[in-house]
Amino acid sequence: MTMSIQNKPTPVAPEKAPNAWQRFKETHVWHSFLKDRVAQLSFTIFMGYVLMALFAPMIAPFDPYDATQMDIMNSELPPSWNEDEGDPQFWLGTDAQGRDLWSTILYGTRISLTIGICAVLLQATIGIIIGLIAGYRGGRVDSILMRFADVQLSFSTMMVAIVVLAIFQASFGTALYQDLAMIMLVLVIGIAEWPQYARTIRASVLAEKRKEYVDAARVMGLGQIRIMFRHILPNTLSPILVISTVQVANAIISEASLSFLGLGMPVSQPSLGSLISSGFEYIFSGAWWITVIPGLVLIVLVLVMNLLGDWLRDVLNPKLYKG
Amino acid sequence: MPLLEVKNLDVSFGLRSGEIKALRNINFTLERGERLGLVGESGAGKSVLGFSILNLIAKPGRISAGEIYFEGRNLAELSPEELRSVRGNRISMIFQDPMMTLNPVLTIGQQMIECLQAHRKINKDNARTIAVQKLKQVQIPSPETRIDQYPHELSGGMRQRVVIAIGLLMDPDIIIADEPTTALDVTIQAEIMELMVELCERNNVALILITHDLGVVSQVTQKALVMYAGRVIEQGPTREIINDAQHPYTQGLMNALPQMAIPGQRLNQIRGAMPGLQSIPTGCAFNPRCDYVVEACTKQLPGYTVSGNCQVACHMVADMKKAQQAPEEVSS
Amino acid sequence: MTDQTVKVSSKLEPSSEQQVASEQQASSETLVQIRGLYKKFNISGDFLDQLKFKGGKIVREQEFVHAINGVNLDIQKGEALCVVGESGCGKSTVARTVMGLITPTAGTISYRGERIDDLNDKQLLPYRKKMQMIFQNPYASLNPRMTIGQTLEEPVRLHNPDWSAQQVRDKVHEVMFSVGIDPSWGERFAHEFSGGQRQRISIARALAVDPEFIVADEPISALDVSIQAQVLNLLMDAQEKRNLTYLFITHDLAVVEHFGTRVAVMYLGTLCELATTKTLFAKPRHPYTQALMSAIPRLEDDRPPHIKLQGEVPTPVNLPSGCVFHGRCPYANERCKQEIPQLITTEEGGQVACHGVEEGRL
Repeated sequence: MTMSIQNKPTPVAPEKAPNAWQRFKETHVWHSFLKDRVAQLSFTIFMGYVLMALFAPMIAPFDPYDATQMDIMNSELPPSWNEDEGDPQFWLGTDAQGRDLWSTILYGTRISLTIGICAVLLQATIGIIIGLIAGYRGGRVDSILMRFADVQLSFSTMMVAIVVLAIFQASFGTALYQDLAMIMLVLVIGIAEWPQYARTIRASVLAEKRKEYVDAARVMGLGQIRIMFRHILPNTLSPILVISTVQVANAIISEASLSFLGLGMPVSQPSLGSLISSGFEYIFSGAWWITVIPGLVLIVLVLVMNLLGDWLRDVLNPKLYKG
Repeated sequence: MPLLEVKNLDVSFGLRSGEIKALRNINFTLERGERLGLVGESGAGKSVLGFSILNLIAKPGRISAGEIYFEGRNLAELSPEELRSVRGNRISMIFQDPMMTLNPVLTIGQQMIECLQAHRKINKDNARTIAVQKLKQVQIPSPETRIDQYPHELSGGMRQRVVIAIGLLMDPDIIIADEPTTALDVTIQAEIMELMVELCERNNVALILITHDLGVVSQVTQKALVMYAGRVIEQGPTREIINDAQHPYTQGLMNALPQMAIPGQRLNQIRGAMPGLQSIPTGCAFNPRCDYVVEACTKQLPGYTVSGNCQVACHMVADMKKAQQAPEEVSS
Repeated sequence: MTDQTVKVSSKLEPSSEQQVASEQQASSETLVQIRGLYKKFNISGDFLDQLKFKGGKIVREQEFVHAINGVNLDIQKGEALCVVGESGCGKSTVARTVMGLITPTAGTISYRGERIDDLNDKQLLPYRKKMQMIFQNPYASLNPRMTIGQTLEEPVRLHNPDWSAQQVRDKVHEVMFSVGIDPSWGERFAHEFSGGQRQRISIARALAVDPEFIVADEPISALDVSIQAQVLNLLMDAQEKRNLTYLFITHDLAVVEHFGTRVAVMYLGTLCELATTKTLFAKPRHPYTQALMSAIPRLEDDRPPHIKLQGEVPTPVNLPSGCVFHGRCPYANERCKQEIPQLITTEEGGQVACHGVEEGRL
């Protein structure tokens, strides 16, 4: 049964309109965040990752990109809690090239997050524009754009990425590829996954388009572009936010997989994926930490992002809490 | 012994901003075969009252005080099993949206038979016979074929008739109808209302009609409760309330109807809007909108004054009565 | 309020002069002219859905909802023309077609003699300033992500590009004040207002560009009774002060009786009766109008019993032949089943589309 007691009018309005922060504190999002331990923990850990990534050059005791700081004699040192062989200088040990694993993970997280976020920004831009146009214009435009999206979706992201990256590597050489790896990864992951956004946006545009405020804007004489971006887009932000968290996690996994297959970041500039990959050959010679520790870091990152995404979806889905 | 008696009923909702009272001190009785109207604007608490009679208020709402007696038995003391047999069996409910009751993937017959078999020991063929008979009662043409149709194959008016037929299946003593015709067109509304009155009279069923439409209340019910901000502010025989409303809110509501004004002239509006349940003013909840307000209205919750056959919660009833007996009218 | 019956019976008299005055004024100038309007909506989905396998052949089948079937209507300057009818009769489609939100399948719409139904968005812009619309649902007609100040400024800026920020602000304050919303609440969002207040803001948005013609699509049906009166009064005040013309869509005949200068009754996309409010309520001629009027819930207990119609409104997908009302009409004969009735002028000055009235048997 529906009982709209929460949204009753307030006849006695305070003198001044509340500012954005006061408004936010009154929202359902904030209140359910205060109640949800999992969301709080996930958010804290995620913020930890973001800070780690942002301040990596300051936190890291070594610069993993600086060859002069590497010493091959330090290679494959176990974590420092292993008292026999560990070196207190490298608390998570070192990799096969003698780089401090902790510093490399910090820089790797930075690269992984950057690629993930940039790829999602690209996906979102393409997807939102196409989804808005398809949903708002409807008819033939809609059919063509959405069939296009279906075709794109029917190729798996990994397949497209592997083919494109392998061809690029083969035709332009590994050296150029290593210089451009980051941009290439962003482009490939970004372009391969836009239909996710386009479909979500189109669905909510179709719902919003029927509401009377859109008709009101048309009656006012506003142009289509303004109606789409100023009136409809802000009302589709909730689903965008939800899929964005999940998509960043997916993009990070895609990048890690590609790197693991040797099509991602070069070993000289390792992301979490290439770090896992580079340690993989040593896993049976006892140097488990080179693979396992970055692996754990990656798993936790993806897990908290998915948990945050789930929580956001529950909170922002009006059917779940208003019905 | 009345069929249904509601005594000092309070219903509260626990919200994050604290507990608010959706219903305050509701008292009324319903006799067998009587038709009662709950009138009020949205947010007045009339639907909450309807749901609380069946003890069906969703969390975070709860009955925080008072009792509801059905045939002398306190509903709060019944076991869940007994309560279930009262619900649906003895008291049934009809909603505004027929699709709230009808399952879109089952035929009407399947739903009716299932409902019958859940409450009674009865075989399929007999259940079907009863179902057809009930559909005939609500004047559905060719019920034998309609019974095998799905809800989406029927028009809005037909669906509401089916819902009424389902409501009648168990030969209940009370039907609670929550805005049963609000979603329908006027011509269909008139037919459905006429049908409900006829059915109630023929089967001696009591009706609680929840509505915002004074016209419907006036035509259908014998007794009316006018609600405002969670409280009954006036109750009594419908005709008496319609013809001679005592509470300034009821008067205002009636005068605000377009029928009551001279065409082309301004309507007699009530200023302001009903307060939200969190911000009910002290004293009489209607006092900020009332033309007759005196100091007592802003300080003290008015008790019920008996006036004729009506009970009115207003400090000024006696004074207004006196003024009315004077030759000139004061209200304009 | 002690004597209801006296009030009810006396209410017609004082208005008659006023009514006559407005009729004379109304006949002076036609603002909006609707001619031969048809609108059908294709409900058969996209091309692949339309293909059906029948009798060994693949055929393309299309189904249409016939929302409007030949409506002619003139809206006179200064009047409040009410369009009434039950859901699905096409009254909202007429409103939306007039506003250019829907393109008609056939027919023309002219504003002050200029055809406007075939204009593009840019060409329509000067007319948008003169014609505005108020919507039914106050909870959906305001953009939830914009403050009401932004909502109201937008049309003013768009239609007066050379105004300074101060002029725009003054205009917004003026309209907010005129609809009874405190201008200092401009920084608030729509959800912070009650339904009645939101509808006032919607009205303010329509008034902000100083229109001369307003289409109101069921503007009060989502509101509570006491708030309905406030909004109706506000619309009447605005009409008086700003010299507005209304096309008022509603299903509520009680409101029509109070508000309208003329009434058009629609059934299944056709016009069945058009008359001044006084004439229509004094003597409804079309059998459907009569049934509709008898179904209004009244407060009086001595009201006549309502006229029961047989059956249900047919779907607008397969329109009945002849008079669309013949299936439910108690007076229908063979001619009604075959020939579509045209609007004829009655002796009272109204127009009715009914063979029975024409033949003098009703």
